[in-house]
Amino acid sequence: MKLKKLMAISLVGAMAASMVGCAGSSDGKTGAGNGTGTENSGEAVASNGEKLVVWTLASDLKQFAERYTEQTGTEVETVVIEPGDYPTKVQTALMGGETEPDIIVGEPQMLEDFYDNGFFADLDELGAKDYEGQIVDYVWKVGQDADGVQRAISYQITPAGIYYRRDIATEVFGTDDPEEIGKYFADYGTILDTANTLKDAGYRIFASDSEINYFSGDSAWVVDGALNVSQARLDYMDLVISLYQDDLTAYANQWSTPWYQAMSGEVPILTAEIQNYEDDSVNVWDAEAFEEATADLEKTTVFAFGLPSWGVLTMRDNVGETSGKWGVCQGPAYGFGGGTYIGISSLSERKELAWDFIKFCTLNEETADWWIETSEGDTVSLISALDKHKDDENAVYGGEKLYSFWLEQAEGIDYSKVTKYDKVIGDAWGQAIGAIKTGQATKEEALNTFYDTIESTYPDITVTR
Amino acid sequence: MGFTIKKGILYILLIILAATCLLPFTLMIVNATRSGAEISSSFTFIPGTHLKENWDILFGYFNLFRGMFNSVLVAVPATLLGAYFSALTAYGLAMYKFKGNKVIFGAILTFMMIPGQLSLIGFYQLCTKLHLVNSYIPLIVPAIAAPGTVFFLRQYILSSLSPSLVEAARIDGSPEIYTFHKIALPIISPAMATMGIMGFIGNWNNYLLPMIILNKNEKFTLPVMMATLRASIDAARNQGATYLAVAISVIPILLVFCFFSRYIISSISAGAVKE
Repeated sequence: MKLKKLMAISLVGAMAASMVGCAGSSDGKTGAGNGTGTENSGEAVASNGEKLVVWTLASDLKQFAERYTEQTGTEVETVVIEPGDYPTKVQTALMGGETEPDIIVGEPQMLEDFYDNGFFADLDELGAKDYEGQIVDYVWKVGQDADGVQRAISYQITPAGIYYRRDIATEVFGTDDPEEIGKYFADYGTILDTANTLKDAGYRIFASDSEINYFSGDSAWVVDGALNVSQARLDYMDLVISLYQDDLTAYANQWSTPWYQAMSGEVPILTAEIQNYEDDSVNVWDAEAFEEATADLEKTTVFAFGLPSWGVLTMRDNVGETSGKWGVCQGPAYGFGGGTYIGISSLSERKELAWDFIKFCTLNEETADWWIETSEGDTVSLISALDKHKDDENAVYGGEKLYSFWLEQAEGIDYSKVTKYDKVIGDAWGQAIGAIKTGQATKEEALNTFYDTIESTYPDITVTR
Repeated sequence: MGFTIKKGILYILLIILAATCLLPFTLMIVNATRSGAEISSSFTFIPGTHLKENWDILFGYFNLFRGMFNSVLVAVPATLLGAYFSALTAYGLAMYKFKGNKVIFGAILTFMMIPGQLSLIGFYQLCTKLHLVNSYIPLIVPAIAAPGTVFFLRQYILSSLSPSLVEAARIDGSPEIYTFHKIALPIISPAMATMGIMGFIGNWNNYLLPMIILNKNEKFTLPVMMATLRASIDAARNQGATYLAVAISVIPILLVFCFFSRYIISSISAGAVKE
């Protein structure tokens, strides 16, 4: 009896609640977004009668949007979506004919699919060609589809560099000059020598063996439809295997607790078994237990980290007392990682306004200045802004002039070596290296597995073993 | 004496079990009071001092209570409608003999096996055509069709609701729908409560569909809102805030569980029919 009444009451309540909810959504403030854009003159529209909708995966753009509203009076609605689900969201919406988002963004590995599906509008039609040369070249190229049509532009550059300890460099190599230290990282063979020198001096070159990953792309994976495993790739493989098997790193995993700790000072040298989780007596995610379990292990200080330019911020937050003792130098090859590319949805009905917003975010020197200051060290893609800040010194890195350094690195990136297969092939290559270094497979077996994987994933690519 | 020892051992085991279950929760609550850097570098059960800071970060990104309200608006009607209509369907399938009964039941079983993600783009297109994008209707109404719940309730009705009870009601002149409400519902309420709890948790945590259907910040449900914390550049520094958000968001689930679990135990049909 009671239950029935309860059910009845709550059902009525539920119905009423959902009605209210639905009523609220079908008219009123969201009407403009709901409809097909022609009715976008509803009450949601701002002072000058226009409104932009931005779907982004990086909350940076929210700050850009707020500034844009401040300066132009155009209302910008920023919807932040979790990065992992962003492609799903955009794909479903645009394939479903959604006209709401004006601005959509993408990370380099998503862009190729977005281009192929025609999600991005043609920026050349809106006049992007006029701005060629104002943005760092590789970023401009990443924003182009296979036919060379400009589809997206990024406000950031993300070239990779080697972050090293100046004090250790002075002690071991007698200099802390980035130019000179860069020579110790000039190629994979030299890195191995450097690693041995550092080990003899009681240090470790890297915390993990993944640090040179960003510098492994000196040749294209696919050339003229054929898989291209260059000598450099094999050298890279040998280097990673040596680093691992000859005890040259601290055996930390990238992004794990000891890896972060290595930024601020001494860390225990783990063993290969701990890194692989074969020996689980040490919990690498728990600092206290970690300290206890590794009390008997030999300690060392890590010399260098390999990260893209956004690593400047990661390092800054984690270096602790070693702040000021770091430097950044060139790695064995040019490489980059990440970056948010802004484009216009091909279904947008406010393309002109959206293009204005993109220009504001990427091509406006004042915005770039503001962003450098607001983000406290992010590296912008606008060449004139980088030029202007080329003498800015970063105290965490011993007063190094990082903006000119990153510009130099970014100019070295040859985007023709980047293919849409890179992610999958790179992962398979990483797996092959992992299998060899831990002794799960011989080099020959691992390479064969690698070739098999590529053949089955991309039947169109010719694989010569 | 032997009895006390046995009991003692049982209690110790149960306490260990309870501690194991509560540990992750404690950790979550403790982490909600610590800063991101502390969380990524160590692990402890001693609460930190960053609760206020995390709270400020969290509410700097969005209004969590708005998300909670939105989630309630979706999850409560969806759960109630789902439970009620599933019970109605299950009752019909279990109690009436008609042509096609088996076929319908077979169809329901088949639909249980089709993952909803398959029809995502089509569903979105349908919603655009019906102008239902950005509304909660596509999240609530389809919940009425819950094949899993129907299947479960049908089996429960077959095993616990004796047809003689329904026949007795019929003889007394009760209309069919009245019989369902008066006789069947109270008897199957434990099963409905079970499915209700599961349905509520499912709806509360539902992420994919709201993420796809809702395009407005102020309409986001809790899981969609919380996921956006990971979009910030300093995701690692926001870990404390993320833990805080999760800690707050499980409260309604705990409440629902406490409230409905009473009904699971109170099965009342025992001895209703004399064999």
